[in-house]
Amino acid sequence: MLSMRGVSYRYPGYARQVLQDLDLEIAPGDIVGLVGRNDAGKSTLCLVAAGLAPASIGGTLTGEVRVDGISTVGRPTHELAASVGLVFQDSNTQRSGVTATVFEEVALGSVNLGRSVAETVRRTRDAMATLRIEALADRDPARLSGGQAQLVAVASILAMGPRLLVLDEPTAQLDPEGTRLVGAALRDLAATGTALLIAEHKTDLLDGLCSRIIALDGGRIALDGPAASVLEDPALAAIGVESPARVRLARAATERGLTIPAGAFAR
Amino acid sequence: MSGSFIRVLIGVVAALAVIVLGLASVGALDPTVDPDTFLIAGSNQFALIVAIALLVGFVAYALVEYLQTRRLDSITRQFDTRTIVLIPIAIAINIVLGQTVGTALKMPVYMDSIGTILVGVLAGPIPGALTGLLANLIWTFVLSGTPFGSPYAWPFAIVAAEIGLLAGIFGYYGFFRSRPNTPTVPLVLGAAVAIGVLASLAYFGILPAYLKGALIGSDLATVEPFFIAIAVIIGIAVVLTAILLVVYLFLRRDLGVAYIVVGGAICGVVSALISAPISAVVFGGVTGSGTDILVASFQQAGADLQTAVLQQGLISDPIDKTLTYIVVFALLGTLSRRFTARFPQGERAVGTAEG
Amino acid sequence: MSERSARRRADGIDDATTAPPPGADQLSEADAAYLAGLAPATPTAYHRQNPLTKATAATMATLGAFVLGGYVGPLAILVLGVVPGAIVAGLLGRLVRLAALISLPIAVSVALVSVFTRAGETVLFVIGPFDATLEGVDFAAQIIVRLFVIAMALGLFGLTTDPRALVVDLERRGVPPRVAFAAAATLETIPAMIERAQTIQAAQRARGLDTEGSLGARVRGVMPLVGPVILSSLTEVEERSLALEVRAFGRPGRRHLLWTLPDSGRQRLVRWLLVGLFLAVAVGRVSGSLPAPL
Repeated sequence: MLSMRGVSYRYPGYARQVLQDLDLEIAPGDIVGLVGRNDAGKSTLCLVAAGLAPASIGGTLTGEVRVDGISTVGRPTHELAASVGLVFQDSNTQRSGVTATVFEEVALGSVNLGRSVAETVRRTRDAMATLRIEALADRDPARLSGGQAQLVAVASILAMGPRLLVLDEPTAQLDPEGTRLVGAALRDLAATGTALLIAEHKTDLLDGLCSRIIALDGGRIALDGPAASVLEDPALAAIGVESPARVRLARAATERGLTIPAGAFAR
Repeated sequence: MSGSFIRVLIGVVAALAVIVLGLASVGALDPTVDPDTFLIAGSNQFALIVAIALLVGFVAYALVEYLQTRRLDSITRQFDTRTIVLIPIAIAINIVLGQTVGTALKMPVYMDSIGTILVGVLAGPIPGALTGLLANLIWTFVLSGTPFGSPYAWPFAIVAAEIGLLAGIFGYYGFFRSRPNTPTVPLVLGAAVAIGVLASLAYFGILPAYLKGALIGSDLATVEPFFIAIAVIIGIAVVLTAILLVVYLFLRRDLGVAYIVVGGAICGVVSALISAPISAVVFGGVTGSGTDILVASFQQAGADLQTAVLQQGLISDPIDKTLTYIVVFALLGTLSRRFTARFPQGERAVGTAEG
Repeated sequence: MSERSARRRADGIDDATTAPPPGADQLSEADAAYLAGLAPATPTAYHRQNPLTKATAATMATLGAFVLGGYVGPLAILVLGVVPGAIVAGLLGRLVRLAALISLPIAVSVALVSVFTRAGETVLFVIGPFDATLEGVDFAAQIIVRLFVIAMALGLFGLTTDPRALVVDLERRGVPPRVAFAAAATLETIPAMIERAQTIQAAQRARGLDTEGSLGARVRGVMPLVGPVILSSLTEVEERSLALEVRAFGRPGRRHLLWTLPDSGRQRLVRWLLVGLFLAVAVGRVSGSLPAPL
């Protein structure tokens, strides 16, 4: 699905390598969480995975990035759009601003791909059904709550039919209610077999959703393994990532000499 | 012959045809400088004819491309996604700031081209010109049912195109680049050149419009005292600008400002030349803003309508465009190089990213 | 036409994606009805005219009023063309108010500037150094009539045409999707920027900055307003353009739009007739075979 070999990347005009010698493999259906400090390179990795860096923003990429076995080097973003989707954190800047209804907003990417109207309608309906936002179809996309707007943004990408969906901190600008809404939708999405790569600070959201967690530090992969073992790894704190509440609670209890039955805090 | 060659050929032929027809109908291709009508009857109509010719040539080119390919790829390729996203913002800046700043300053300036100039500098001359053109067409046709629309914007689309084009050209040659810590010798030389350009622009380009084509010292007896007073005021304004420029240059040691003032003044004179005939013919020389009082004064002092509008424009436009250029220059200075470098012409126009 | 197919190959588009394969566009009747309902509402017969027809009518009325000059020509366009359209559309009152509102400030300027400063032989009255001449009144009245007719013609177009409908129709006719996007996005950008400017202005006022006083004070008051308004909009450009590219914005080739607007041979004929009529009048005026404007 997505394969990176020895990938290093630096932004135009900067000397620093934001990603350094990264190897990463995502198989169809994988649900991968991406954690790390703010400057660890999470967003950059998302941009590289979706082919935006360097195609749209310039910079220097070394190593090899393949999507569905085809190298992304030199391919314009719109050619990758049907294979890899990318959702950003701000639902406001992701809104096209040219549509009057949520239905048209969700359909826009599919229309841009030049698909027939019948196919676009079918994919738009499917995407909205997956995220359970059919009821919003006739609403004005500019007048939605933060959580709803972010679901529309996810649906807009989903309607293009990508096999890998990359989400760059999809809940960073949402209130707890919006975060819950998006979290539930991501669980539904994971069940459809679409591979997900989710960069996220909120480890509680990743816990139980992801099959695998990758922790970045200084542009390199610090930890990579099954979700439970990485999230319970004491080394997470050293690279600036807060463990999920259940792990911290268990740890605090153990420190105070309480014995916790195995699995009491597991999800 | 390739398709693109035919397109260019037809565009050039159409433009030349317009120039020939235009000059024939105006009848002012007289190479001898008529002391009475040197600027007034000749050069502003000539500027407008050239501008229209460029526009017609471009439309002919686009039409042929559309007929050949049913698409306009060679034109749309000029716009990358960032430029396209920037255009609506540029139009909004033109309209919103044109209204708020224009009224807040209470001065005879328009301030309605900040966005167009910004796109021209960052994206290049052709996108800049097309943005100007599009901006005024959208202002009239797309916004006409909303409170922001203006049915009177579209005749000036050609002026907006010229403003975007010039901004793109100046951007290409680095006029908008900040040049901090310029050493003293180039600073003095640069200041001298800038003041020289400003002075000759005023002396040959602006002052003759008030002195019946007469340059200072020749035949002032026939000129109304009112116009001599205006000419003196303009002279003082130019000297003041020069002094301010020198003071600023030596305080900040940034030669970039000299480029900006020169570019803004040139853009202002060209804009005045092109817009005066449009304004006079379509609107009776009136725009509904503070500049109208100038038109009235010049007419009262004996100028005919066309001349009065040009005289007004030659005062308002250089001030307006120089101020606008300074605003854009200041804005570009606050934007990160990482941001500007991603536009087609950003790196050339503003400089490379830090480091 | 070989260039066209070469371009397509270069763009990596095969004809299969630009021309839908047979049978691919089978929409159910319910879906077709739903999509048709997404198009902007068109309550009256005038609203239902194709946007290009209404735009052509407005443009030719504008150019005609300008070329004809005088009073009779522009007023004939107004009474015979614009007013009947507005009555059919059921918004004559609203249109007159809009056109008056838009043309009033500039009309006042025209009156003041032209009436008092235009040289003429018949002096009507004198105020201070200013003579009001009959020629000045005549000139001002002609300009005001022209401005009002232009505002009515374009206002009728604007009030009866949803901008999205215009943009969609233009794209169907071959205007590049990128240009269509820029035009459509402007609609939402302007109110957003006005809101932003007002917020920032209020914040500046609260901090004691004002736009009153001497010129220097006014310039200093305006700069802190201009900067943040523009900068806050510009910072969005990067993420907006990336988000659009992820949605295949900028892919070359035609798109299949969800809804389009009806056009007819009759409307096409009307458009060409309007253009022809204007050209005939323009030629007549330039060659001098039409009588001087009244």
